[in-house]
Formats: sequence, structure tokens, C-alpha cells
Amino acid sequence: MSERFRNTLTVSLIVVMAAVLVTLVVTSPMREDRVQSIGDRIKCPVCQGESIANSPSQMARDMMALVEERVADGQSDEAIIDELLFSYSGAVLLDPPARGPTLILWIAPLGGLVIGVGVILWWRRHPPGLGSPEDPAPQRSRARKLAPLLALAGAFAVIVVVAGFFLQDREGPATGVANLAGEDLDDVSNETMEAVIAANSDHPQVDGMRLALAERYYEAGDFRSAFPHYLAVAGSSNAAETEAVTALIRLGWMAWEGNGEVATALNLFDEALAIDAESDTARYLKAQVLWCGAEQRDEAEGLLEDVLADPELADESRDLIQADLDAIRSGGSCA
Amino acid sequence: MLSLLGSAGMLVALIGAGLLVTRGITTARTDRPTNLRGAAQVLSAGAVAAMVALVAALLTDDFSLVYTANHHSSLTPFPFDVATAWAALEGSIVLWALVLAGYTWFVFRRYRRSPDRLGAAALAVMGGVAIFFFGLMVTVANPFETCVQAIEAGCAQSSPWPFAAVDAPANGPGPNPLLQNHFMMAVHPPVLYLGYVGMTVPFAYAIGALSLGVAGPEWLRRSHRSTLVAWSFLTLGILLGGWWAYEVLSWGGYWAWDPVENASLMPWLVATAFLHSGIVQQRRGMLQAWNFVLVISTFSLTILGTFLTRSGTINSVHSFTQSAIGPALLGFLVLTLVGSFLLFSTRADLVSSSPRLESYASREGTFLINNLLLSVYAFIVLIGTTYPLILEAFTRTQVGVGEPFFNRLAVPLSFLLLLVMGFGPVTPWRISEPGLIWRRTRNPAVIGLAAGLLTALAVTRNGWVVLSITLGVFVVSTLVALVFEQVRRRIAKTGETLPDAVRRVVTGDGAFWGGQLSHAGVVLIAIGISFAANVGAHDQAQMAPGDSKTFEGYTITYESPFQRTPPGRTIVGARLTVTRGGQFVGTVEPSWNFFGEQSGVGTPDVLHSPGGDLYLTLEDLPGSSGEVSVLFDTSPMIWILWFGGLVTVAGGLLAMRARRRERVTTDDRPTVDV
Repeated sequence: MSERFRNTLTVSLIVVMAAVLVTLVVTSPMREDRVQSIGDRIKCPVCQGESIANSPSQMARDMMALVEERVADGQSDEAIIDELLFSYSGAVLLDPPARGPTLILWIAPLGGLVIGVGVILWWRRHPPGLGSPEDPAPQRSRARKLAPLLALAGAFAVIVVVAGFFLQDREGPATGVANLAGEDLDDVSNETMEAVIAANSDHPQVDGMRLALAERYYEAGDFRSAFPHYLAVAGSSNAAETEAVTALIRLGWMAWEGNGEVATALNLFDEALAIDAESDTARYLKAQVLWCGAEQRDEAEGLLEDVLADPELADESRDLIQADLDAIRSGGSCA
Repeated sequence: MLSLLGSAGMLVALIGAGLLVTRGITTARTDRPTNLRGAAQVLSAGAVAAMVALVAALLTDDFSLVYTANHHSSLTPFPFDVATAWAALEGSIVLWALVLAGYTWFVFRRYRRSPDRLGAAALAVMGGVAIFFFGLMVTVANPFETCVQAIEAGCAQSSPWPFAAVDAPANGPGPNPLLQNHFMMAVHPPVLYLGYVGMTVPFAYAIGALSLGVAGPEWLRRSHRSTLVAWSFLTLGILLGGWWAYEVLSWGGYWAWDPVENASLMPWLVATAFLHSGIVQQRRGMLQAWNFVLVISTFSLTILGTFLTRSGTINSVHSFTQSAIGPALLGFLVLTLVGSFLLFSTRADLVSSSPRLESYASREGTFLINNLLLSVYAFIVLIGTTYPLILEAFTRTQVGVGEPFFNRLAVPLSFLLLLVMGFGPVTPWRISEPGLIWRRTRNPAVIGLAAGLLTALAVTRNGWVVLSITLGVFVVSTLVALVFEQVRRRIAKTGETLPDAVRRVVTGDGAFWGGQLSHAGVVLIAIGISFAANVGAHDQAQMAPGDSKTFEGYTITYESPFQRTPPGRTIVGARLTVTRGGQFVGTVEPSWNFFGEQSGVGTPDVLHSPGGDLYLTLEDLPGSSGEVSVLFDTSPMIWILWFGGLVTVAGGLLAMRARRRERVTTDDRPTVDV
């Protein structure tokens, strides 16, 4: 067998086999698990760096159940992800989009590759110390002088970045509530707020901050962290009435929603109503618990009617309550 | 008492490190011998004493030490009580410093055999790094502080003064439950540290060579063995970490692109690039400047990794200032980078001449591509890991960078690396010989494609699996073909028997064949990963005792819930028996483990078999009537991944053991052999 014949044979063999292989792979029945792949892209709000697909936490499992439902409904990946990010604060996309502040994540590796290829090409033409014909000697020495300068510039850049990291107006363990008085609480991390609250637990103005922090935890679904703060606000003699009412309502709802404790929840709502008998939220939630937890439909109905009588009630809330009222009257079970 | 021993140990070590620096610099500058042996001995003795004191305190339940009071419990069983010595920040610094002292002794032994200025300078650099770590221990991460105000299961206030009036708690909270769940936690950190810290040795030689103005590959030759030792341990450490995650963390995952994992992968990638580019300099005198850049980067990345994992920055950027350890490590990192590169820039004349690269299609060319890919790989991991932290620190914007990002970029790069791995070893040095490369790769290409076809027809048509098998078999076939090409030549020349010839060829250039063995290991890892990531089944079932479930050909019967209380923990779980085709396969006991007052840890149970693992996890605790929600997973061929990791490590060790053949660096003859 001549070498030439052998080469031709091998090349054709390789081409045919590769073609068959590609066909087999491309035509393979795709069994892409959309639920899994969406779950992989969302960070679980209450975990450390885990995706909801990989986290055993209750919240992640609830979110996965939602994804499954939406996929079954035939919704698009983007719509499902948008819904998750919108309804669970703390959920973050683990797959950073190629726009906005994360654009650089996608560009930088490409830039690194291009620079790397450029350096190799340049280095081949201009090996250090050996002048190539088209590269006269004086230029070479300039390039050599440039090297330390470049290194210096690089070092300088590192210093600037790191110094910036250090000097950034960091939320150190601020010691007084007053320190944060002028600041927008939205810019302050949970940890800082915890530290400030712990350091000022008997400061008369701390309840506002406690409540703000508790609301954050509450919205993130972290009832456990929210609980002690609501409790402190509810029991504080310094708290404003609205603050105490909010805390009591949240405690009541968490008792019902988190632990199914009907009696505790109702007590707490009553306490809130004792301070502010006109609180729509307290009346509405109490009605929910009466209906869903205690099967006391008549009382629930009365409360909801009272709420509907409030002229300041927003239209959407009105529709929601009306729907509940209709369900109660028609003997429907609670949603 | 132990506090006194430990404190004395770390102070003595600090003095030893200082002596090593001053004496090392004196000898390096003047070539006048100094007592470097004494300095190295003092350093090592101090480091050993510190570790002995810490371990003794843990073994004797001495809660007067704040470290034991806060991280140990008298119920913690062996070997986890010993492992607690490196389970928390302060202890891990002790381990780090001990390993550093060990490597310093390694460098000293080399110096003793051939004392010269370069060796002395390297010892001085090792001493400088040791000053930093023992300095950390003495100041901001002192594990030998005594507890002066105890609280229940812990310590509220401590004093660095060993003679302070002690108020020790009766017991401590014990280490993190996740770390007590598997014996691997006793092994993984020391192994990883042997890898991390070992990268100090090539760094020390590089800085020594730069400071002295010693050109040439001497610093590479000196540090080659240490680099290989460190690289092998780093590989093993990463592997053990993955295995631990697989066995303990449930859900069958072994790698999640978690910042802690990335912190160990980055130095590995750059060190791997360095191992390859070092060969180019030793062989051809090229890439001198690049090797300095790589070795400085590798060392800096180990410090960056320590900073990321030990300062708490990953959990929250805002915890950065809560302990002085973060700023200290970051400061050291900046000092290393700025100092090294400034030194490097003043020594540009050292790297000013090198031979020209004749062809991209030469061995040097493939090494360049390998370095480019590995560097970009490391850069991707670096930016993906640090960018969210930097962005949050500066703008308080939270972005997530996780598996989808890394996989999208790293998977194509990994396959490119695999492809280059097939061509690199068969490409001759210096010259471009397309004919030779073709002759060496045509049959392997056919074999690789045949393997791919076989996989697609008989196993799975998943593209990633097929691609990894095709490329993997191609790479391994080129290696086998290369062995036989050389064996045939040898037999024709010497008339040896086949086994003899194979042995002679492989031991003749152990460094090369060790590297090729590592390549084969990496191939196996790639195949294992693509199976684990793409082929596997998942299911979930609510089961009551007596229920059976069929899953992937297994019949799994829930026998009963169980509860056990070995010392120091309570295990609550479910016992299930597994049969296949009526044949009993095994019993699995996924469980939840509780350590004292701490919250429970879900622990999966794995039924290992060569075809694939059956992986069972309990979603929650068994209910009152024993009903429980069980998760079922299969991990097909996962053992290939672990085996491949071990093969990779074995390759590193083989290369290290190989007799180094001194080579002329500027070889003017075109060399066609490999």
C-alpha cells in the first residue's frame, strides 16, 4: 500500500466517520431539562452561592416547584426567570447578562484572548534581544525602556484598585443610630443594621431601623431573622403606634403562615386592632386567618365588609377582597 | 501551659524566620557563609511546637485556649478533634505556617548540598513569607490566646498573655458540622495546603534569581522538584475536595464553581501553565520573562485564595473589615504583586535575549497555545470570582456569577486544551514538520472517532460525552503510538525484549512520560465530568416504611427509619435496601446528622458500582409514622473522574522522581525526537 493511497484512505475515513458522528449527535433526541436549566441559573435567596436547583432549602424547593409549573404552562425561560427575580427579593441571576455592569464579564475573557494572541504574534516578530531585520536597534532599546514603565503602570493600577477597595466609604461597624440618621437606609447592608441595632438596643429611635430590617428579612422570606426584631418593636414602649401595629400584624401573619398557629395569630391581630382599630391590613389578614384557619366564616365576612367600607381602599385591594368575600359567601374553600 | 508552649513556639519561629532573612541576605550579597542551618532549625522547631501545642490542647480538651473553647467540643471524636486544628481561621494559619516551615527545610536541604548565593537568597525569601504568616499568628490570628471570660460553650473575652487568669468554659460548641461529617475533612486541608504553600518555593527561587541578577534557567532547575510536589498535592487536594463534596454535601455534586473551589483552581491552572512553559525555557531558553510572570502569579493567587476563603469576604463583602485578617492578607497580596513586578521591571536586562521562535507548528508553539489557553482559563475564573465582590464593594450592586457563566466559557476552553494535548507531545521541537505530525496522529484520529461512534451507537448520543470520548481516546492513542514508535526504534537498535524496551523508554525520560501520564489522567477526568454532568437520572418519592420504588433498573425498598447516637452526634435516617433483577445489591442509609446543639446536616448515602453510583438523599427528617421524602440520583461512571484524578497525581509524582537530565539549553541541532 503506497503512502499516498494510505493517506487518501485515512483522510476519507476520518471525514466519513466525523460526518456520521456529527449527524448522530445532532439528530439525537434532545432531552434538555428546562426546569433544571432554569433552576441552575437562579441563585437561591437564603443560601450561600447555591442555585435553587442545587439547594435543599425549603424556599429553593418552592421556587423549583413554581418553575416546574410555569414550564408546564408553556411559558418562556425569560418570562419564568423574570417572575422569579421579581417575586423573590434576594434571588439573583447566576448567569450574568451581557449588558449593564456584567457586560465586562463576557468581554474581558475575549479581550484577554485577543491580547494574548497579540502578545504572541508581537513576541514572535520582536523576540527580546534579537532584532529582526525590519526592527532597527534604537527601537528595540526603546521597547526595553518601556518594559519597566509598563510594569510600573500595572503596579500602579493594582494599587489604585486596591486602595479604592479599602478607602471606599465602607459601612464600618457604625456605633450610633445618629450616624445613619441622614443616610438612606436602602444603602445600608443587613449586617450593618444588625450591628447598629445591637449597639443601640435601648436607643429611643432604634425601633424604626429594627422595623426596616425586619421588613427586609420578611420580604426575603427569612421569617426566622425577622421574628426577633418584630417582637422587639411590638414590645417596645418607644415605638410609634404605626410601627407597633405593623410589627404585630407581621408577627400574626408569620405565626399563621409559618407555624399554623391560629390562636396566636388572632391574638396578635387583636392587639394590633386595639391600637389602631381602623387598620385595613390587620382586619383583612385577621379575616383570612378566621376563614382559612378557624372556619369562622361569618366573622371573616363581617371584617371584610368593614374593610370594603373604607373609602380610601385602593381599587386592586377592593377587587381582591370582593373576590374573597364572594368565595366566603358561596361557601368556597380558602385559596 | 499549652498556651505558653504555643505562644513560645510561634515567637521562636518568628525569630527563626527573621534570622533566615538576615542571614540569607548576607550570604546572598557577600557569598560569605552564615548559619542558615541554625535559622532553618529554629523556624522549624517553633512551627512544630506551635502545632503540637494546638493539637495537644484539642486532644486533652484544654478549654483554657480560646481556640479550643470556640471550635472544639469534648464530644468531638477522633480524628475530627485533631482536624479541628485546621477547621477554623487561626488554626489554619498554624497549619499553613507549619507546611511553610517544612518546605523551607526542603529548600535548605538543597542548599546544604550545593551552597550558593541563589539558594541563600531563596531561603531569605522563604523566611520573609514565614515572617508574614507567623506575624499574622502572633498579632491578628493568635490561636494561643487564653480565655479570661467564659460563657456557656464558648469564650467571650480572651487575652494574648499566656499567664492571664484563666476562665475556661466547661465545654465548647464543636467544629462546623459539615466538617465533622467525613474523615476526608481531616485529610483534605493539609493536602491542599501542601499544594498551596509549596508554590512559595519556585516563587522564592524566582525572586532570589531576580534580586541577584542571575539569568538563565538555574532557578527553574532548582525549584522544579518542589513545583511538581506542590502541583501534585494541589491536584490531589482539589480532587479530595470534590470527592468530599460528592460524598457529604448531597445532590451528587462535586464541583459548583463556588468561590472557595475557584480559589484552589486558579493557582492550579497557572501552575500547570508554568510547568509547561518552564520546560520551554529549560529546553530552548525562551519565555524567560513569562516564567517569572507565571510564578509570581501562581504565588499571588495562592495568597488571593487564602484571602478570599479566610477573610469572610465571600459570604459578605461587608464582613471584610470585621477582622484584621482580611486587610492583612490583602495588604500582603498587594505588597507581593507590586514588589515582585517592580523588581522584575528593574531586571529587564536579565531576560533580554532569547532564541527566536522558528515556527508556530513546533513544540514551542503548542506550549504557547497551551499557556494562552490556561492563562485565559485562569483569567475567566479570576474575573468570575472577584468581579461580583469588587462590584458590590464599589457600587453595592449585587450580581450573581455562577455555574452557567463558568460552564459556558470553561467547557469550550477545556475541549480546546484536550485537542492541543493530542498534538503537543507528538510535535517536534523547533521545526515545523507537518508530515511527521500527520503520521503520528492519523491512526489515533481514526481510533478516537471510532470510539466516539461506538459511544454514540451503544451508550449515549449526548454531544459532550461523545466529544470527550472522541478527543480523549485520540489523546491517549497518540501517547500509546508514541511509546510504540520509540519502543520499535529501540528494539531495532538494541534487540531488547518488548517489556524491557517499554520499561527503558518510559524510565529513560521519566519527566516526559510522567507528564503524559498526567495527560491521560486529565483525559479521564474530562470523560468522567462529561458523563456526570450529562448522563444521569433524577427522581423523588414520598415513601412510607415498606414502600418500594423502581429507579433506573434498581428496586429500592424503604425498610425503616433509624436513629443512632455514636459519640458526639445523633444520626436520624432511613434504611433502604436496593435490589437489581432480584439480586440484593446493598443497603443504603441516607440520614441527617446532628452535632450537639447545632442544626442538622443532611448526609447522602452512595452505593458505589463500576457502572455508576446510586445516590440517595433525604429531603427531610422521617415523619412520625416514618414517611420520608427520598431523592434518587445516578452518577454514571463517576469513578472515572476520581481514578483520572489519581492518575494525574501519579503522573506528577513520576515526573518528580525521574532523574533530571541536564540539558543544554541552547541546542543548535534541529531535534526531531521527543
